[in-house]
Amino acid sequence: MNIDFSRIEPYIPFMLEGIWVTLLFTLLSLIFGLIWGTCLTLMKISTIKPLRWFADFYTSIFRGTPLLLQLFIIYFSTPQLLQYDISPLMAGVLAFGLNSSAYISEIMRAGINAIDKGQREAAMSLGVNYSTMMLFVILPQAFKNILPALVNEMITLLKESSLVSVIGVQELLRRANIVTSQIYVTFEPLIFTGIIYYVIVMILAILARLLERRMRVSEA
Amino acid sequence: MKPNKAIEIKNLTKKFKHLTVLDGIDASIDQGEVIAIIGPSGSGKSTLLRCINLLEMPTSGEIWFKENEITSPKVNLTTVRQKMGMVFQHFHLFPHMTVLANLTFAPIKAKKLSKEDAEEKGLALLKRVGLEDKAKVYPGSLSGGQKQRVAIARALAMEPEIMLFDEPTSALDPEMVKEVLDVIKDLAKTGMTLAIVTHEMNFAREVADRIWFIDKGKIVEDTDPAEFFKQPKTERAKQFLDKIL
Repeated sequence: MNIDFSRIEPYIPFMLEGIWVTLLFTLLSLIFGLIWGTCLTLMKISTIKPLRWFADFYTSIFRGTPLLLQLFIIYFSTPQLLQYDISPLMAGVLAFGLNSSAYISEIMRAGINAIDKGQREAAMSLGVNYSTMMLFVILPQAFKNILPALVNEMITLLKESSLVSVIGVQELLRRANIVTSQIYVTFEPLIFTGIIYYVIVMILAILARLLERRMRVSEA
Repeated sequence: MKPNKAIEIKNLTKKFKHLTVLDGIDASIDQGEVIAIIGPSGSGKSTLLRCINLLEMPTSGEIWFKENEITSPKVNLTTVRQKMGMVFQHFHLFPHMTVLANLTFAPIKAKKLSKEDAEEKGLALLKRVGLEDKAKVYPGSLSGGQKQRVAIARALAMEPEIMLFDEPTSALDPEMVKEVLDVIKDLAKTGMTLAIVTHEMNFAREVADRIWFIDKGKIVEDTDPAEFFKQPKTERAKQFLDKIL
């Protein structure tokens, strides 16, 4: 066995910088996914049938094809179709946001359906309009229910963000590959990167649990 | 002179798929009147109540709220409902808001009251139902009876012209029924128009000005309580009373 972590020591600052790229990328994708996912959810629960059809069709497309394919189409075909030279980061955020919004809208729909219909009736009987009811009565309660699932989605996004290394975004995995090409060893940079991913995911999971507990306390 | 009508129902029917739940209801409620709606379960009494504030859309027929036909498609349901309070069997308080926030939510959002005014009114209402010390707690920590009193106060916060009660005490432990009924009784004394679906026969006899006995989607008796409980006119009402009294 030929393992020597001291070989990657000079490259550690370079690899650690990838944390910010990965986190930034995940955060941007998540925000995009949440906003567009909320819109899709509202379409799915609306009474207007074409909107429901569109949202359901959208979801089936983005869940029914590989994320890597979606990423390639957006990154490689945008210049051909729109004569616009899209940056790797932008293509990545777009692909991941569009993709995760499909999953997020399903999570949200389930969360909203789980709210007792009495809540809706109570708000309606008080004479508040639909958007006020959704915004202040239904969504806050649904959000609390789906928080664990959303954190899961965020962790998935974070791990899958490694896919954008193939189009050249210098996030964690891409940096590990760059180091490999400099010093001709693969194991140490990959393991080091793996540890970074694991630590970030654990921190997120713990934060989520704390947040969940705090939200529960506020109602006791 | 005829008293002013608060609610007038004309040939109302409600069907769910092929099931006829309400079958040609004609009735009216005068202003300030207290109506107790009673009948066997599944007779359509809750559906009738829910049709009055259009939580259920009637299949056919008309409902008039004072001089407006509220079943007309032109009517803005949101504004109509602001004038009708509704209290549910299972309270349906908003669990993520404090008791006081439950009371101020609709006045602030729908009536555009300032937070200060809404809270002042809210606290006065909580005092009226005997729960001013619970303003800052969340509904989860209240007993069933307290929850229902908060729900009544929440409906009153919109200053409705009529209050609808859908089996307000059916989900309560027996020892909590009285505190809720007392609040409703006080409300009746203030001259508020009330329609109450209930199984509390003593309460109906004591508080109601009129009884609607409903069976199989029809109002089979519409009469004053003393007469109804002493000598019901129909066989069905007799059987019903025999079973529960």
